[in-house]
Parts: sequence; C-alpha cells; structure tokens
Amino acid sequence: MLALDDVHTYYGNIRALRGISLTVQPREIVTLIGANGAGKTTTLRTILGAVRPRRGTVTFNGQRLDGLATDRIVRLGIAQSPEGRRIFPRMTVLENLEMGAFARADREAIAPDLERVFTLFPRLRERTAQKGGTLSGGEQQMLAIGRALMARPSLLLLDEPSMGLSPILVDAIFKIVVDINRQGTTILLVEQNARMALRVAHRGYVIQTGRIVLQDAAADLLRSDLVRKTYLGEK
Amino acid sequence: MTARRGLGGFALAALLIGYPFLDRALGLQTVHAVSDGMIYVLLALGLNIVVGYAGMLDLGYAAFFAIGAYAMGLLNSPVLGSPLYGYAWSFWLCIWIAAAVSALLGTLIGAPTLRVRGDYLAIITLGFGEIIPVAIRNLGDVTVEIGGWRPVERLNLTGGENGVNPVGRPYLPGVPFETDPVPWYFLILVIGLFSLWAMSRLQDSRLGRAWMAIREDETAADCTGVNPISTKLLAFALGASFSGFAGSIYAAKLQAITPGAFEFQVSIMLLCMVVLGGAGSLKGVILGAMLITLFDRVVLAEATFFLRWLGRSLGVPLLVTADLTLWRWFFFGLGLVLVMLLRPQGLAGRRIRPMLVPDTDDAVEVAPPPAPRVEAIPGWLRERAHRVGAAAGTGPILEVRGLVKRFGGIVALNEIDLVVPRGSIIGLIGPNGAGKTTFFNVVTGLVRPDGGVITFEGRPLAGLRPNAIVARGIARTFQSIRLFANMTVLENVLVGEHCRLRSTVPGAVFRPPAVMAEEARARERARGLLAFVGLADKDGDLARNLPYGDQRRLEIARALATEPRLLLLDEPTAGMNPRETETLTELIGLVRRELALSVLLIEHDMQVVMTISDRITVLDYGTRIAEGTPAEIQRHPRVIEAYLGTGYEPAAPGGAI
Repeated sequence: MLALDDVHTYYGNIRALRGISLTVQPREIVTLIGANGAGKTTTLRTILGAVRPRRGTVTFNGQRLDGLATDRIVRLGIAQSPEGRRIFPRMTVLENLEMGAFARADREAIAPDLERVFTLFPRLRERTAQKGGTLSGGEQQMLAIGRALMARPSLLLLDEPSMGLSPILVDAIFKIVVDINRQGTTILLVEQNARMALRVAHRGYVIQTGRIVLQDAAADLLRSDLVRKTYLGEK
Repeated sequence: MTARRGLGGFALAALLIGYPFLDRALGLQTVHAVSDGMIYVLLALGLNIVVGYAGMLDLGYAAFFAIGAYAMGLLNSPVLGSPLYGYAWSFWLCIWIAAAVSALLGTLIGAPTLRVRGDYLAIITLGFGEIIPVAIRNLGDVTVEIGGWRPVERLNLTGGENGVNPVGRPYLPGVPFETDPVPWYFLILVIGLFSLWAMSRLQDSRLGRAWMAIREDETAADCTGVNPISTKLLAFALGASFSGFAGSIYAAKLQAITPGAFEFQVSIMLLCMVVLGGAGSLKGVILGAMLITLFDRVVLAEATFFLRWLGRSLGVPLLVTADLTLWRWFFFGLGLVLVMLLRPQGLAGRRIRPMLVPDTDDAVEVAPPPAPRVEAIPGWLRERAHRVGAAAGTGPILEVRGLVKRFGGIVALNEIDLVVPRGSIIGLIGPNGAGKTTFFNVVTGLVRPDGGVITFEGRPLAGLRPNAIVARGIARTFQSIRLFANMTVLENVLVGEHCRLRSTVPGAVFRPPAVMAEEARARERARGLLAFVGLADKDGDLARNLPYGDQRRLEIARALATEPRLLLLDEPTAGMNPRETETLTELIGLVRRELALSVLLIEHDMQVVMTISDRITVLDYGTRIAEGTPAEIQRHPRVIEAYLGTGYEPAAPGGAI
C-alpha cells in the first residue's frame, strides 16, 4: 500500500534520512521506533510531502507521492495526527473536527464519524463549543487524533499519539488504534512508548540516525536484545 | 585571522576618514547625502532596538524623530516665540536635551501601551505617529484662555505649517559648520561610531538578552524572571532617545524643519531600512539605512539625470520629462518584496538553518545522555543550597489553601489544598484536563486565582507577576517546551540568571570591573549548569536546533539558573524514550537530594511518578480526589477508575504502562 524506497531527505545540508526503505501492507499496523532525532518525524513529513526527498521514491497504491503537494496527498487518503498537537487554537472543538473532514466528498457519512470520535473521546463531546487553544495539553492531543480520524483516511499516520496522555488514556488510545485498524484503516505509528507500540503493531522498524537498522514482526522485535536495551529501558 | 581583521579595520578606518577628501578631489558632491544616510543609520539603530531586539512592531517611530528635531528647533532657533526665545542654547547641550525629551515621551507613551501585544501595539504606534505631526502643525498659534485671563496669547510654539527656519548650528572655534559639509560628516561619524559601539555592547549584555527573550517568547521570559513591562519600556525609551538624538542633529544640519518631514512614510522608510538589512543585526541595519538613503539621494537623481540626457540625445520626449525620484516608493516597495522573497532574514541577517541530526556517516546510535553525576553539580549552586538550607525554617515551602479558578462556566480548580514540605518531591497527577497545568499557571502567577491563598516560604504570593515569583524562588518548565528558539543554548541559561544579575544600561555599555566580573561569573555558572544536565558541548547551538530530549534538559537548566528553591516540572519526560526518562528521573532526584530543592511534578509516566514522589495529589475535574503516598495512590479505587485504569499493574517491571 505504502512503500518508501531508499529515501534520502535533507534539511539544508544536513542529512536527516539516509536511505529509508519501508513498506506498509493494507490493513497493517506498522510501527516506527527510535530515539529522539533519529528521523521518525522526518519520515512522516516526507510521506506527507512537507519535505521533499532528495533521492528515492514514495509510492502509495502504486502512485508516486514524492513531488505532490500535501493537500493532494491528503486527498489520496492519507491523514496525520501531527506531533505537538497542531490544532487550530481559535476554532472550536467541533470546527476543528469538521476541518478534518474538509477534503471529503461523502458529506452524509461525516455525522456518524463525528459520533465515533465523540464515543472514543467523551471529553471532546463535553467541550464541543470550547476554543481549541483553551483545551489542556492532553485534550488537544485527543483533538488532533480525532481530527485525523475525521478525514476517514485509508492510511493514518500517528505521531506519538500517547504523548501527554494519562495512563488510562494511553491504554485507551492503543485500543482505539487497534479498533480503527480492525475497521479497515491502515496505520503507521511513530511512538516513544515502544512497548505499547510493539504490542499493538504487526510489524516494526527500528530507525537510528536516519537509517533502518532492524525490521521484524513486532513480537520478535519485543524480544530482540537491541530493542529491549535501547528502547524498552531494560538492563 | 586577527592580522587580517586588523588590516580590514585599518582599511575601513582609512576609507571613512579619507572619503570626504576623495569626494572633494573627484568632485562627486556626495558628502551631504552620506551624512544624511548616517543620520538615518542612527535612527535605524534606535528602531532596531524596538523591532529587531525586543520584537515590537513600531509603525510610528518617526514621531520620536520629530520630537528630537523640534526640541532642537525650540531651544536653538531665534524665530519661535517660545518662552526660551532669546537664549542662545548651545547645540552641544541641545542634542542631549532632545534625546532626553524623546526618551521621556517614549516612556510616557510606552507605559500604557506596552501591555498590549503584537498587532495592537503596532496600531497604537501608528496612531501616535499620526498624532505628532498634526499636533506640531497646530501648535503654531497657541492661545490659552482661563476666564478672560490669557496667560498665553498667540504663542508660536512650533512654527505651524511653515516649520522652523533657521535652526542654530553647532559652534566649534575654527570649524565651518555653516558652509562645509565635511565637519558634519565627521561629527555624525563620531556620534554614529559611538552609538554603534554602545549598541553592540548592549546587545551582548543582560539587557540585550532580556530583549531577545521577550521577542522569542514573552510568557516564557516572564516565567524566567524577565519583567516584560520594564524591559519593553526600556527598549522603547532607549530607541526613542536614539531617535531624538538623530532628530536634533538632523534639524541643525538642515537648518530648517517642517512637519512634512516626519510623516507616516518616514516611519515606514525607517522600518524598511531595518527589515531590508536584517532586523536584529547591526551590520544589516547600517547596510539597510545607507543603501536606501543613497539610492534615494544619489542613485535616483543620477539615473534621472542620465535618462533625461538619453532622452535628449535620442529625441524621446517621454524620457526628457522623466523623474525617477517620483518613483522612489515604487522602488523601495519592489526592493522589499524581492528581499523578503529571496532572503527573508534580510541582507545581513543571521541565517537560521534547521539542524536535526549530527551529520556523521556512521550509523551509530545517537549517544544517550550522560548519566547525571553528583560531582557535576556546580559548586556555587551547592553552596547556595547549603546556605539556604541552614537559613530555612521548618514550615512547608509551599502551602496552597482553597485555591479556586474558573474559566467561564468551567471550574478548573475547585478548592484545592496542596502542601509541599521543604525538600520533598510532590507528584501531581490526574486525567487530561483535570487542571494540573492550570494549577501550575496559578502558582507561577500566569493566571489570577478566583479564590484561595498561596503561601511560599511563609509569605503570600497574591498579586505578584510571574517574574516577581521567579525572583522569590519558584521556577518552572513547560509542558510544550518553551525555549528562546533563536538564541543560543548558553544565552537561554543566561536569561535564567537575569533576575540574579544587576547590570544596568550604563553598566552594560561601559562595563566597569564589577559588571565584567558579574558577566564572567554568570557565564561560568551557565556553563556549569549545562555540563550538569549533559549539554556541555552544545552551548553555541541555537536552541531550536537541539533534539527534543536536549531541549527538555535545557529548559531544566534554564529553570535552575534562576536559583529556585521550588521547581515546578510539567511533564518533563513527555516524548522521551525509556533511557532518556531514566536519566532525567535520576537528575530530578539528584537536585532534590544535593541541592535541597523542593519539586512539584506533573507527570504521566507512572514509573517516574511512583518511584520519585514522596507524596502524590490526584486531581480530576478540578477537584482533589486523593492525596497520599505512592503506594496508597496506586490502590486508591477512585484513582484507578479515573486515571490509572484497571490495566495498570503496580509492580510492572520496567514498564510504565
């Protein structure tokens, strides 16, 4: 469904990605784990066209994405919940969610999706008329994920969805990830919480300084020495 | 390198001194234009303090230019009917009075307006810039009448529409200021060089850093101990005084001033100079001011001359009557658009490049942060801690009683009680939106409470601004990192020391030994703190270029630099991997143990909270639902229901899920 082939992305002269190749099959949950600054977010930005790769290709359902504008890519069925909760602070919660469905043509299907988001995050239902910027950090995180879901993407990119959420919600968010995956959405998940990510994912990639150093079934990665020592914090 | 710089400096000095004579020898007659350009450099330098350093958009800066010029006119012209008429005030005295008057008016106008931010401030300055020329036009015929008594009758204060002509010139024995532009050139050159020198020293001082911190993030600056109001006011007043200085020289040089010379367009042109050259860069401002003035005064005039000659030679009547000087605003606008498109940081501005990963070829793992070591704790911080520890009472360091905060209909904090005993780590947890960050915001003075009492070391904190609370000894970090992104790592920590340093404007400019020593000590302390948090080799990097984990640690170093006794940490390990989290947890434990710091901690990583906290308070919907030891909290049914979830295993080995 999604394939990156030898992608090199630069910021100025700085090489952020040094030949990333990865694939995501339909209906999979694939997780990308790695330290801060390893290139996880850059990988997502490259897929969405926010930065252009200098070399290599990104294809989605057989169509080249590299070189397309971000809004075109979103219309093809990819949505992202960005790291750092880039919500619209002066729009209400409801307006933020409606913006998520901006590119959709099937207007009548939007209402049930809104209902689905509110079921997932009851807290958002309580705050529909509140301005996004006045929500707490964790609520903004919920809103960012909800907004991405409103696009009803076929591929959902999640950048650290558990960041800043309470333990009960971290559990919930990973259940939601599994749920929406079962409903047919393919997911590429970037997470610091490697343990949880590997528990819900089918496959995983480990990224270090812009390169993929390990890839395997998620269950096997959970058992690998490198992952246990470096990303799970076990001694 | 130094030899080459020395040679370059010598060549520049020779050029600056030799230029007027070269001009005369070649018959170019550009000294007047260049001198005027230097007056604009002076103006642009002042505007650069306001716009480039402090980041406030000022659209009415020419008003201060006018005030300076009219102060000179009023004091040093024989034509006005002012009460000062007849006194031959010396030019050398008047320039200082003009600067002082402008600074005073800058303060008066700034005081009420600086509480508003961004666009609103720009609009207010715009209004002020319009008011001054109008006032000048209408003060040419002033009559004051109080019940038939006329203390002031038909007083010509400003010359009205006609302006002031003549304005007296400076007097130096044997120097022909009346007939020759060269003495003016040297006079303005000396003043300009002195200003430049003073400015470059200010830029690299406690005050310059405070201005830039305000520009980068006013709230974070406030919470780091920088008083935004007084800092911005100082920028406004200092910028105005430069303008007053330039205005008075301008009036005396031109020998005549009219209100038309200080219209809105002049403010815009000055802004163009700063932006074109590069806001915040001294070189850029000089370049911008000289380029625009010379283009206006020399290039356009010469080009018109050439075009007319061409028209006459070729017999094209359109060219014969062409006047390019009428197109000046067209060219300024075009130039500005091009610069913004091609080089948005300005011609000489610092280029800001993103830098995410070190550019090494081997795909080795990014080195994990070094574990914090007891030996790495800066000695001065430890000494201070012991001093404070010895002087400290036995009561709690922070005591919060019945704290209430409402936002509209929502009760964000409902009668919250919380006590932080001295030297303890208190965890503050709760579901998202429970009011944890709001609690921090109230304690640090960012948000005013609607009820309740906050007592820090036995004294109430009511009504204090964030920077005053920092000065009392409470420092914080932010949930979403708020560093001064375009300042270096070292500068970020130095801003943290701001409230513990004392240097003032004269001190920053003239640098007496006491200030030099203070600054050297501040830098040494900052480097020590950076080494302690594991950022020793990154002090020259821009904060924005640090990886996420380093940014979090830098924020803690900046908070420690304020010499706090209570540290509020808002989700310090969010977005960190387990290794980084572990190091940070050790660091927090270390500052508590070794520095006698008390810590209030918001954190969702239960591994961290449960191992490090002495006691934990749990909020839900703004209400305290539990308080107790970590063991009690983990078993508390309401906490499990609202926060931990049934999936939470208290004894999960190595996992925080």
